[in-house]
Amino acid sequence: MEKNSNHCKSCKTKTLIRDDTSGLLLCSSCGIVQDFDNFDAQIGGLDGPEGTFIRIGNSGSIRDYSYRDSKIYKAQNTIHDITSKLGLSRVDEIKSMINQITNGEFGQGEWFPILVGACCYVVMRKNDKLIPMSEIVSVIGCCDEYELGRMISRVLEFLDLKLPEFDMVKTLEHAMRTCSTFREFERDKREMMLKQGIFMLHCAMKWFLTTGRRPLPMVAAILAFVAELNGVRVRIDDVAKEVHATVSTSKLRYKELLENLVKVAQGLPWGKNLNFNNIVANAPLVIQYMEMKSRLKPNEKGGSLEELAFDFGDVVSECLRKEVEYTSEDYGADKDYDSKYFEIKDRKGDPNCSFDDGDGDGGKLKISQEFLSRIYSEFKNEAARVNPIVEIGENGRRKPRDYDIRACEDWWSGKSELTKKLLLKQVLEKDVGFDAMPPSFVTGCLAYDRRKQKIAAAKVRIEKIMYPSTTDLSNCHDLRCPKDVQNGKKRKRGKGGRTSDLDWEDCVIETLLLHQVKEEEIEKGHYRNLLDLYVFNSGSM
Amino acid sequence: MAEQGLEGSEPVDPSKHPSGIVPTLQNIVSTVNLDCKLDLKAIALQARNAEYNPKRFAAVIMRIREPKTTALIFASGKMVCTGAKSEQQSKLAARKYARIIQKLGFPAKFKDFKIQNIVGSCDVKFPIRLEGLAYSHGAFSSYEPELFPGLIYRMKQPKIVLLIFVSGKIVLTGAKVREETYMAFENIYPVLTEFRKNQQWYDTCAPVTTFCLLVHHGRLNSSRCDA
Repeated sequence: MEKNSNHCKSCKTKTLIRDDTSGLLLCSSCGIVQDFDNFDAQIGGLDGPEGTFIRIGNSGSIRDYSYRDSKIYKAQNTIHDITSKLGLSRVDEIKSMINQITNGEFGQGEWFPILVGACCYVVMRKNDKLIPMSEIVSVIGCCDEYELGRMISRVLEFLDLKLPEFDMVKTLEHAMRTCSTFREFERDKREMMLKQGIFMLHCAMKWFLTTGRRPLPMVAAILAFVAELNGVRVRIDDVAKEVHATVSTSKLRYKELLENLVKVAQGLPWGKNLNFNNIVANAPLVIQYMEMKSRLKPNEKGGSLEELAFDFGDVVSECLRKEVEYTSEDYGADKDYDSKYFEIKDRKGDPNCSFDDGDGDGGKLKISQEFLSRIYSEFKNEAARVNPIVEIGENGRRKPRDYDIRACEDWWSGKSELTKKLLLKQVLEKDVGFDAMPPSFVTGCLAYDRRKQKIAAAKVRIEKIMYPSTTDLSNCHDLRCPKDVQNGKKRKRGKGGRTSDLDWEDCVIETLLLHQVKEEEIEKGHYRNLLDLYVFNSGSM
Repeated sequence: MAEQGLEGSEPVDPSKHPSGIVPTLQNIVSTVNLDCKLDLKAIALQARNAEYNPKRFAAVIMRIREPKTTALIFASGKMVCTGAKSEQQSKLAARKYARIIQKLGFPAKFKDFKIQNIVGSCDVKFPIRLEGLAYSHGAFSSYEPELFPGLIYRMKQPKIVLLIFVSGKIVLTGAKVREETYMAFENIYPVLTEFRKNQQWYDTCAPVTTFCLLVHHGRLNSSRCDA
């Protein structure tokens, strides 16, 4: 115990001692515990414990960074990190944009990488180079596309900028550049595949497959299709993942693309035999046909039937000139059988085929009706055999379709203007043999039709109940909605497994009709709205 | 106002709606001041149709079935009423909510009722080239397919925001009175018709027809094609 010089608070004597164990101050005469006085600074101070001082933000220099300096230092690192991962070159421009937005403060926290990503997007798009938002999001990792999109719009608003039009072709170019599957090819081959991709993309734009839809799934679908055309085995799932597109949507776009190609193929003489399953195998010919159509000038397009005849003439005669066979390894056992209709080795020797040297069109091929019908029937047979060869793999999954498509050098001319970057107006002016409506519009039209039919059926039912004597019983079958009208219904209501032909929609339509709602209003399908306005018309006061 | 709610069942006035299309009102948002402080917890405990989770949102969410609406009731006495299909329905619903609050023992009044937003929608029944519209009306339009499938058109006069979709469906929002919605649609309709997709369908030719065409054009010689 040590003595203390202070007075005791009770007896005023100077006999204060400190207890070694508890550290409390006690009076040795009266035993009173004095007020607590042994504050002891645990760290710091002149006689505090010594620690190792770590300097932040420097390496070897003596100067200490302040909070602001270290913040800016970290921010610069973040910018460098993100831009290098994205492979961007305009780092200075991005930095100066962030500097301008943050008044030179840069920043820390989760919002800062999003700002960097937004500035990267804006700078690149301003300079006519496009990085998809999803790619930036995958690099940043702490936000989704919508959050990035919100930040981009804030950046644009703050800087009073206007972004140039979104360019699908650039997205495709970027995807092809970054996709590992396509990087392996030689430059010429890659260029050709890119041209094919741009051609297909322009067709997709013309067919409304890209309008109002996310661009990357369509890009993934086109890349997969082009790869397949060029005999590259690649799964659409892999391509979609590489280009940061949703796999299921990419598959859907691929399906839509093929469906439209089938519709284009209907313009070919044997088009009726082409379907979704064999279109990829026959795609070269269809694309060749589309290329030829697109090369026609817009005013030539108006030539309608005669010009169509011109095209088919080209297609058929070109096919006849070919000596290359449309063969497939999978059914190539009888190669002789395969492509006789395209193969005319000795035209003069064929009794059905001869050159008409006599007329003005010297050298033009004359084909008899029998020969043409033989061509067509043989194609028909073959087309049926080219049905997808789907094998079930060991793991029970379907193996990808196995086609042998002619080497693209044979069929791809690349002369169409649709292989270049065009304005939308120019794309729309081109004819590719088929003009489609947007899928959402078609769905809307079908829904209108379905509702119209339901309204008609509901009117018949009401008529029957209101005027049973006048209603012709032979029309009883009309009381129910046609089967195709009910295809949208997911489940039927009814007790004990008994199913009713009328669903809730029919009942609502009946109610609305009985409340004198116009049919045009009902056709729109805003049932809840109409019920509120006309049936439960509580709003009228 | 009661008549306005039934406008849809009457013939379309061509002077008011030259396009022949009347946008359908889908949602009306209104506000009213009940002019008294409210104990939200007490309201939530007493009212059956109310939910209150202060951790999630600082207002009582109350619903009624007729008119089918939802109200957000704040402790300050301010109330937001959403979901009505017409202005008068919105007002009636707001009055019903105020009455419920009164019955719960609060001296609620009905001050400063105001329609804050009207949302309408319609269908022009033709597809629209959004890219073309965005290009030619760049000053008013924003079309970012990476973020949103529609084109956002910010009309200056009347100050209405339109969402235009490729299918031809339009959503109009931001109006304080329904006439603004109608006017905005009549303003945009001629613009949309410029960018409507020409409905040209290319009929596919049957094989026989095709070969006949070839013959007529003189490319191939098939004298018996028409057989």
